Amino acid sequence: MSRVSPLSQASLSLSRARYSLGPWARIVALAVCALLTLGPVIWTVSTSLRTPAQSFDLPPKIIPTHPTTEAYRGVFDQIDVWLLALNSTLVTALIAVGQMVTAGLAGYAFARLEFRFKKPLFGLVLATMMVPLQVTIVPVFLVLKSMGLTDTLLGLIVPAFPTAFGTFLMRQYFLGMPKDLGEAAMLDGAGPWRIFRSVYAPLAAPGLAIVGVLAFNYHWNEFFRPLILETSGQNYTLPLGLVSLQGNLGTGSISVVLAGVVLSMLPAVAVFVVGQRPLREGITSAGVNR
Amino acid sequence: MTDSNLTRRTLLRYGAYGAGAAALAGTAASWDRLTGSDIPGRDDGSLTVATLGPAYGPEAIRTLTEGFRNVHPDIKLRINAVQAVDWSDFFAKILTQIAAGTAPDLVYVATEGVQLFAKSLGVPLDHYVRRDAAELKEYFADVHPSLVESMMYEGRLYQLPVEFNAADMYLNRQVLQRAGADFPAPDWTRDDFTALLRGMKKSSGSQFTPYFWTNRLWGGVVPWLFAGGTNLLTESKAPGGAWLWDSFYPAAEREGRGGGFRWTTPQATDDRVEEAYDYLASLIQEGLCTRPEGGNGQNLVGVFSTGRVGVTPAGGFWAGGLHLAGMKADAFDVQYFPRWRTQRHQFGAAGYALLRTSRKQDEAWEFIKYAARRDTLMRLFDTNQTTPARRSMLTAGRYEESGPRHWQVFYDTLDKFPDTGPIPAPPQVAEVTEVLLKYTGTALASPRSVRPALRRMQGDLEKAMERDV
Amino acid sequence: MTNTQTVSPARPLTRPVAAPRPSRRDRGTRLLATLFLAPTVVGIVVFTVVPIVGSVVLSLFHWNVIDSPSFAGTANYREVFTDSTVRVSFLNTLVFMVFAVAAQLLIALSLALTLNGRMPTWLRSVFRSAFFFPLVLSAASISVVMKYLFNQDFGVVNWLIGLVGISPVPWLTSEHAALATVIIVYVWQQFGFSFLLFIGGLNNIPKEVHEAASLDGATGLRKHLHVTLPLLSPTLLVATVVGVINALQVFEQPYVLTNGGPGDSTRTVVMVIYETAFEQLRFGEASAVGVLLFVLIMAVTALQFRLSRRFVHYQ
Repeated sequence: MSRVSPLSQASLSLSRARYSLGPWARIVALAVCALLTLGPVIWTVSTSLRTPAQSFDLPPKIIPTHPTTEAYRGVFDQIDVWLLALNSTLVTALIAVGQMVTAGLAGYAFARLEFRFKKPLFGLVLATMMVPLQVTIVPVFLVLKSMGLTDTLLGLIVPAFPTAFGTFLMRQYFLGMPKDLGEAAMLDGAGPWRIFRSVYAPLAAPGLAIVGVLAFNYHWNEFFRPLILETSGQNYTLPLGLVSLQGNLGTGSISVVLAGVVLSMLPAVAVFVVGQRPLREGITSAGVNR
Repeated sequence: MTDSNLTRRTLLRYGAYGAGAAALAGTAASWDRLTGSDIPGRDDGSLTVATLGPAYGPEAIRTLTEGFRNVHPDIKLRINAVQAVDWSDFFAKILTQIAAGTAPDLVYVATEGVQLFAKSLGVPLDHYVRRDAAELKEYFADVHPSLVESMMYEGRLYQLPVEFNAADMYLNRQVLQRAGADFPAPDWTRDDFTALLRGMKKSSGSQFTPYFWTNRLWGGVVPWLFAGGTNLLTESKAPGGAWLWDSFYPAAEREGRGGGFRWTTPQATDDRVEEAYDYLASLIQEGLCTRPEGGNGQNLVGVFSTGRVGVTPAGGFWAGGLHLAGMKADAFDVQYFPRWRTQRHQFGAAGYALLRTSRKQDEAWEFIKYAARRDTLMRLFDTNQTTPARRSMLTAGRYEESGPRHWQVFYDTLDKFPDTGPIPAPPQVAEVTEVLLKYTGTALASPRSVRPALRRMQGDLEKAMERDV
Repeated sequence: MTNTQTVSPARPLTRPVAAPRPSRRDRGTRLLATLFLAPTVVGIVVFTVVPIVGSVVLSLFHWNVIDSPSFAGTANYREVFTDSTVRVSFLNTLVFMVFAVAAQLLIALSLALTLNGRMPTWLRSVFRSAFFFPLVLSAASISVVMKYLFNQDFGVVNWLIGLVGISPVPWLTSEHAALATVIIVYVWQQFGFSFLLFIGGLNNIPKEVHEAASLDGATGLRKHLHVTLPLLSPTLLVATVVGVINALQVFEQPYVLTNGGPGDSTRTVVMVIYETAFEQLRFGEASAVGVLLFVLIMAVTALQFRLSRRFVHYQ
């Protein structure tokens, strides 16, 4: 890494002079993109605060003239939000934690440890991402049945612990860290466990944060697996519960449906906000080796 | 390495330990929740019923379960509301359970799946119906024979219908007024309909389309095929069924009944089918009608209730939907589908199918009877999100708050047009539907594509119908 | 799947001279690798490999779930190869993959690089959250919203482009536009995924390097190409490989937005699998299509790893 620094120092001083024009154009461009990205979300939130009769107004009124939280009351009246949220939280949090552990460990092994069958094993891990759920769901259900885990939350959680994507990401993360750190520790007489624990693991926080945040997002919104695996109403997760809001043959109120969508995205937003810090603090890890 | 790095690292570590401990404690505390062992009475050999989630909310399930317990305290009942968005999701769930040998005893099935279930999974109810004929007299007297017939397959009865929806025409009163048009007469024709759309178009600005429909089996092209005096597949009736008609229906209503429908030879290239497509294509050309979107029409209620659409085909389920969407009872109304060659309507119905794999068939039959009782249905269908199969439940009081004013149309559709029948749904229904939707989309995507699309539809339908399901 | 029994001739770890007691160290390494891999490998074998083998076997049978399976040999594959819908769906999926992944990476990368320039921290947080946001929503529910926004007659999108005088586009109901619309909706929701990876990857690059590299203007772009990108290449590989794998399995968006239509123009492979299995009860054929998709994804991924040897730089 040290070999890059002088070069970048040079380029930094070279382009100092042209810097003054950049930032505003950049911020405006980013703001436009952010608006495009958030547009549909804003529409969703504002529609959930409007009466159904105003829901399809054109031009769309972003700030509702008569905001009403009736739709949100509708959600709480029609479904047991608290039970659903508890189930979703349990499932998602445990999956996220589990994935961070399995992915962190396996990713490190693939990146920094030497052992036999490394390549085929890594191939096997990656291959699991390549089969759509729709193909394997019936066999998965049979496996879970043989373990007595159908229609339990554990049946949703345990199979989701191994994560091909997370393992791959963490492998790349560890590979991206300078090799000389570990080698230096080894020269100091540190064993493989110590090298992992004291040198590399502390640097992995941002990578693990990404694994955790993405796992939370994905499993929080998961629909197909819970639909197939959970049978008792007590085991439903939020996305399953929200289906009720659509009413028989799609006759539910659009405002209530969207209010449900907005409510269900709040925790995922919160997790992202919390996760921002470790994501940002990746910088500190890079600080170690300079 | 600076101090701040050290502390941050220490903090991070303790943070991680803390999170781990919290996770462990949380897991331990919620172990019962995770393993589902806090759910009372699961796996206790209850009679299990799978219903469609959105149709039966938690409140309805409680009502059903408690009501059943009062009548049959000795039968343990579990109702599982499958939270499926559409029928294919619902099937995915049920089929997986069947594959694993954990199938429910009873499954809520609509017309789309009646024959598929009957052929491969269901148990005919004939001997139960005969046995309990006295008890069921009142039910059959209250339910139109067309609905009952749609639940028959090859002479045997597989379900007792509890709800149905025929495709009538909903009209937005405000749009009618703007066009200066009168509310159409019950015997209005296709030409009246076209003229009305033109009037609406002329009197409204942009972002308005007179006629809106969704590309699906129920309420899509099929009503126009029926009105045009044809069908996607040739239609005939299976023999049999006399045992039922003779014991429950008066001679006048028995007339022409059989043992359920048979849908066989595809006839997509039939002149009349072509004509129906040409008509819809001409409406699109003239800007009187939208190109049909695929899917289940979740936005339909919204665009209609806000006056972006003037006319659309829907059934009794829409009364509740429009009410929820904030439409006043007098802001919309319903009329029969217009007459073309015929004024035959199409409908879909639903009820509980008893699975062959069930080991509690007698108990299941008790539930079927219970679910079809008037007091049960009264409690279940209090928001008008469907049309009850029992005629006596359609009263002025029921529709007073939600509208429409001509609510009689919902059930009278069956009486006034006795040839009104179910959407074509042979056991091969899934593939037939897919082919129909696929080529309807192509046929109406651009002018002059009707003929080639229908030719290919015919070919694919023939292939689909040859398949043994 | 353990490596403990692998009593290989003591292989040098990284620097043989540096290790005082190589054989013990090797054993330690192998033990650690075994422990570290166990949760992932065991889980994967039980919950993925077994089901995959199950569906490969199933692809050789006729099975409708209800009756017991009957052996079909290669009949399912022959049927699938001659089926025009299957062929079209593979074509659609490939086209979808190419455009969706390219757009996703391009948007995510340029936003991540632009964001990495100098600006107030709070503003950066706001932007970062905004770009990430669509990922928080469920694909199915947002597709319902998008279906309304892209409606030809009443949609907000056509209203917006109408303001600048463009006539309404049949986004979802024309065979020419529908796939593009599905791609737009998919990319809109998915670019945040690559974006997040890039943000993390950029964070891992020492400060001076990307501060220097993210300066604006033409020279800035060149610096990105020569300095930042090589350092970001491991992340780029993750984003591309995972992006491709996900795109080849796209389901929710076309299922909700167009249901595969008009015609077959937006029918993807996974949609065909779903319809064949759960609507038409032909699980054997569905599995055969699944196996073909698996082979395709594997080939594309292997190709990417092969190419990556030339482009990816590890430190």
